Amino acid sequence: MTTLALYGNKGGVGKTAAAVNLAYLAAQSGRPTLICDLDPQSSTTFYFRVKPKLKRKARGFERGGRPLFRSIKGTDYENLDLLPSDVTHRNLGITFNRLSRRKHRLDIILDPLRDEYDLIILDCPPTINILAENIFNAADYLLVPLMPTVLSSRAHSLLLDFLKRNKYAVDNVYGFFSIVNRHNKMHREMGMAMFTQFNNILLNPIPYDPHVEQMGIYREPVPAFALRSPAAKAYQSLWIEIQKIVLKER
Amino acid sequence: MNANFQIQLPDGYTREQIEALLAANFPFKVEEPVSEKWVFYDTFDWLLFNRSLSLHQSGQELFLRTLPDGEVLFSLFITAPPGFSWDLPDSALKNHLGPIIEPRTLLNLIELQMQSCTYRILNTDGKTVAHIIFIEAISTQNSSPITITSYLSLRAVRGYPKHVRQISTYLEQAGFDFSDWEDFYFCAIEAAGIDPGSYSSKINVQLEPGMRSDEATKIILRRLLEVMKANEAGIQADIDSEFLHDYRVAIRRTRSALSQVRDVFPADTNTRFKEDFAYLGKFTNKLRDLDVYLLSEDKYCDMLPDVLRDDISPLFEYLRAQRETVLKGVSDHLDSERYIRILSAWEEFVNEPVPETPEAANATMPIIDLAQWRIYKRYRKIIKDGKFLLEHPQADLMHALRIECKKLRYLIEFFASLFPANKIRQLIDELKRLQDNLGDFNDLSVQQEYLLSIAEELPISNKETRRALIATGSLVESLANRQVQVQEDFAETFTKFSNPKNQELYQQLYASKERKTAS
Repeated sequence: MTTLALYGNKGGVGKTAAAVNLAYLAAQSGRPTLICDLDPQSSTTFYFRVKPKLKRKARGFERGGRPLFRSIKGTDYENLDLLPSDVTHRNLGITFNRLSRRKHRLDIILDPLRDEYDLIILDCPPTINILAENIFNAADYLLVPLMPTVLSSRAHSLLLDFLKRNKYAVDNVYGFFSIVNRHNKMHREMGMAMFTQFNNILLNPIPYDPHVEQMGIYREPVPAFALRSPAAKAYQSLWIEIQKIVLKER
Repeated sequence: MNANFQIQLPDGYTREQIEALLAANFPFKVEEPVSEKWVFYDTFDWLLFNRSLSLHQSGQELFLRTLPDGEVLFSLFITAPPGFSWDLPDSALKNHLGPIIEPRTLLNLIELQMQSCTYRILNTDGKTVAHIIFIEAISTQNSSPITITSYLSLRAVRGYPKHVRQISTYLEQAGFDFSDWEDFYFCAIEAAGIDPGSYSSKINVQLEPGMRSDEATKIILRRLLEVMKANEAGIQADIDSEFLHDYRVAIRRTRSALSQVRDVFPADTNTRFKEDFAYLGKFTNKLRDLDVYLLSEDKYCDMLPDVLRDDISPLFEYLRAQRETVLKGVSDHLDSERYIRILSAWEEFVNEPVPETPEAANATMPIIDLAQWRIYKRYRKIIKDGKFLLEHPQADLMHALRIECKKLRYLIEFFASLFPANKIRQLIDELKRLQDNLGDFNDLSVQQEYLLSIAEELPISNKETRRALIATGSLVESLANRQVQVQEDFAETFTKFSNPKNQELYQQLYASKERKTAS
């Protein structure tokens, strides 16, 4: 069982799109997969046509166990289940803060689910508060979408510094390029610079592709409605690379 | 079958009817229909069915399920159709199946084409909240395909229990009954006109205690003839070794009945058929011997020291080649004029009604009296001979005792229906332990002699065959050592068999009334 977090402290870089499409591809390859929507904006939940609602709201999430279990919804795809978001997720950090082992709450509540799923994918909101630390403790690997821009590069440096300062392993943090326009000279140059600056940058980028935006209209993962689109192919290549490089599978 | 609910539909129910039924109440989306071939397997003697199991292949996967509930016990990906269990890929399914069916092979029982069409039931967000699957089982045995049954399977989507309840309530109100359904297996065999469990090599005849002895004996003999005939085709087609085995046991039992069930038929008829069956029995000896050696190939290899393990293979190659020739001989024999003549004369005799005033002395004796007399006599002889053997161990006496035990076993089995089943089982279990010991002793001595005679025949042309000779010698030594061990075990086994409690049981069941009061 592996837990992968799609994480980044910068918004609008394609975390949710990556989480949804990678979870879909993992499930299609036969792995029982759970995608957890931790973002109060509940975009992942929306993409899967599920209502953003948890049994017993935040209390259900705090305690884990049965209410959490009963909140899980089967998606329209085989092997893929969803733990929906809830509006109360905007206070998740504060909620965790009140409890014992406050930085390990997420790890604790996910634990019973690890028998049932081969892969758990966390779709995380862009924060670097206590919720972020819960994510670092619960996830085996962090996948960080990076745009080849100055701000994105700066945000990644800050993240790595934070992790080092707080004694979290940075070996398990992998970056991949997202929303890339290969005709844009600055994207190309910035991309090259980031490759040399950071370790663990994956080789397969996700290009800018309107099909990703159309996910909101179709309410489906890209490969489910546009199998031959550049984005679908890019997610497929990225997923293969993740299995090989990150999960170290043969 | 991964279904939350399953309904068997009335005959002739169509997809259009399902769609009309759903359309009125639930928005849905139809998926592309999927068609898959299912093949059901069992052995010739229904070893799986008799244990309430069903084995089928669907796509590239093999499923072992329990009957009648259809719960999947094991599944396994396979690349070739299943046959002998030892040829399956190593797996939990193989480990479970092996002890049940070995050394029989799996036969293709029925083929079905399963056509399924999935309806996704949608909520107002267009989210799938349940699956309804319409499954048609189509028989392709005949030239024109026939739908033998159809099912509606309702599968819940996790987190949407309310919708499944709604749909199931709706379907129940529409007149469907979820509790009443039969597994595909039963529908398929019924449609194909197959009677599961129809073949067994067991005697299972029902006799009445007061029945005339000649009549009762003919019932047993008819049953044995049935077993012989049922196995002929399987021997000729060389499907597995057990066709020949069952066939031979039926012949041996017939011979035993002709000599052990005394004076129920005219003496000349009896003598004639005894001779005929002696001839039939002899004809298949060599093929059975070869089968036994080839089936124990792995066991023999394990007996050899590591350095010789690979060297024995020329011996088995030689035996395999020889088996081809011998099988051809047996197959021709089964088609021969003499064989057909013997069997049809026999068939005529066993089906002939018994004469009203028979000449044979015991013909009209009630069968219960004859059974008790013969069985008790055999039993007492075994006890006497066995006790003598305990004090004077001799190989030829071991062989003689083995034959006596076999005669007793057959007699007990012939007349089992006249006595309480639980007691018979107990007697047979005790007797079987003794027979196993004596049988092992005999097999080991026969095998030593046989291997030595094969060693004389084995053409020595090169280094390999020379080494095979050395390996054969080593094998003979192992067998001899083991035989000594088996002989030593005899004392304990026999003492157990002759224990007072077992003796009492024999007396209670088989000693005639006069003898019981006398003792």
